[in-house]
Amino acid sequence: MNEKKVKIVKRDTPGALDLAKKTVFLDFIKGLSITLRYNLSRSITIRYPDEEKWIPYPRFRGAHTLNRDEEGRELCVACELCVKACPTNCITVVPMEDDTGKGIADRVAKVWEVDLARCFFCGYCEDACPTTAVRLGRDYELACFELDKARKTKEELLKPQSVPEDFEGGIIVQAKLQRTKSGIKVKPNLWKKKEKK
Amino acid sequence: MVDTAFIVEVIIIWIKVVVVALVLFSMPLALTWIERKVAGHIQVRLGPFRVGPHGILQAFADMVKMLFKEDVIPDRADRLLFKIAPLLMMVPVFAIFVAIPFGDKVTLPFTDRELTLYISDMNVGIIYVLAVSGLAVYGVIFGGWASNSKYALLGGLRSSAQMISYEVVMTFAAVGVVMLANSLSLVDIVRSQSGGFWHWNILYLPVGPVWFFIFFIAGLAELNRIPFDLPEDEGTLAAGYHVEYSGMRFAFFMLGEYVAMVSISALAVVLFFGGWDDPLGPFAFGIPPILWFVAKVMVFIYIFMWIRFTLPRYRYDQLMTIGWKVLIPISMANVLVTGFMRI
Repeated sequence: MNEKKVKIVKRDTPGALDLAKKTVFLDFIKGLSITLRYNLSRSITIRYPDEEKWIPYPRFRGAHTLNRDEEGRELCVACELCVKACPTNCITVVPMEDDTGKGIADRVAKVWEVDLARCFFCGYCEDACPTTAVRLGRDYELACFELDKARKTKEELLKPQSVPEDFEGGIIVQAKLQRTKSGIKVKPNLWKKKEKK
Repeated sequence: MVDTAFIVEVIIIWIKVVVVALVLFSMPLALTWIERKVAGHIQVRLGPFRVGPHGILQAFADMVKMLFKEDVIPDRADRLLFKIAPLLMMVPVFAIFVAIPFGDKVTLPFTDRELTLYISDMNVGIIYVLAVSGLAVYGVIFGGWASNSKYALLGGLRSSAQMISYEVVMTFAAVGVVMLANSLSLVDIVRSQSGGFWHWNILYLPVGPVWFFIFFIAGLAELNRIPFDLPEDEGTLAAGYHVEYSGMRFAFFMLGEYVAMVSISALAVVLFFGGWDDPLGPFAFGIPPILWFVAKVMVFIYIFMWIRFTLPRYRYDQLMTIGWKVLIPISMANVLVTGFMRI
């Protein structure tokens, strides 16, 4: 038969060394020195709305933006592929004909709307777009007081982004909290880098 | 027998009492801010930052918040005890400062009048301090009992057991100091340590440091601070004895706790670190003694906060073991050794 072998663990009796360590409070001193070190080290807090702001990497998927080409023409040709690709049906595109040179082809979007309250920023629209017109940008302060404000129209989306496309990102920069009539904005100063370790 | 000198004397005592009380009342405002800052920086955060520069007005904001909160008294609470418990906690810790000396005599500018920087030099000062500080536990027990809540009651009971155990230990530590100083008066205890840091009781080798550690551990337990904050153990008792308190009554408890922290710090300074004595002794370069006293107290307050955010809480049985099986035997042995050294 299989005899179960029970291993008897003997508890170590505290030796003289342990006792000595106890009497001089060695463990306490170790712990206290660690907390003192942290107390004197720099804090890792990002003072976000007031003084500092995190600029994401270019791969970040934030609010949508519509691009133009070098001559300022709208890249969007209203092919509606983004609408098809969108898993949450948050994009609305209504095409129209236009040969005034507003767009790169004779077909432009009359309406290009995205409901950011529904969007979950998967980036499929970006992948589907044949002309790289729609991109997910780096704006992440999307909170608003009314649900209507979460619908972004073409005019808003065509405005240039607060962070340029070729900006490296992944850093903390100086920023300023601004209270305007349209809401609270945190304006970054991209060239004032703040080092955090 | 009322003459001018007597009236002036009474007025001076009144002024001293009012000044000390005002300083003590404003102390918790600063201390909550400092405590939150220390907590923040130990946890690599910044602590309060938004109300005023570096969050310095946070305590005032909290005070306003506390004032406007609803004063809830639980349904089946003992209303009278519930109302007086915060005061019972607060009044004794203020009363301790009657006996604590902040400095020696100073001569007032423009007059020849000598002013003592303590309210009263009792010849039994240390006994008075220990007795009065023991009274503060009534606030905790009554608060716990009157709330008619299990958690509060358990907190109150724990506090009473803790107080009984550690009051003994603390008194032993005081006995040690009395043996070293040959006096029960706190002023005389400070005077006996004057003349540089090598005269301080903490450096009366080998018994001084032991007495200090006994006093310090007992002080931590008396203050209900981590690692001995079992009466308000968040993990098991929600908030312990003040779980049912809100608004200003809760603020009184907090005030009492912070002032008690100052009082234990001041007592530690007086008993072991030479009170207002200049650590450099004969080589002193003229920093007023009262500033030395304040600086020493501040160091102690920082140490209390530092310990709070370092150590975990002891289990209840461990607390009792430390009190009865470790500290009291050590104290007894230490009394013996001190006695032999003083022959």
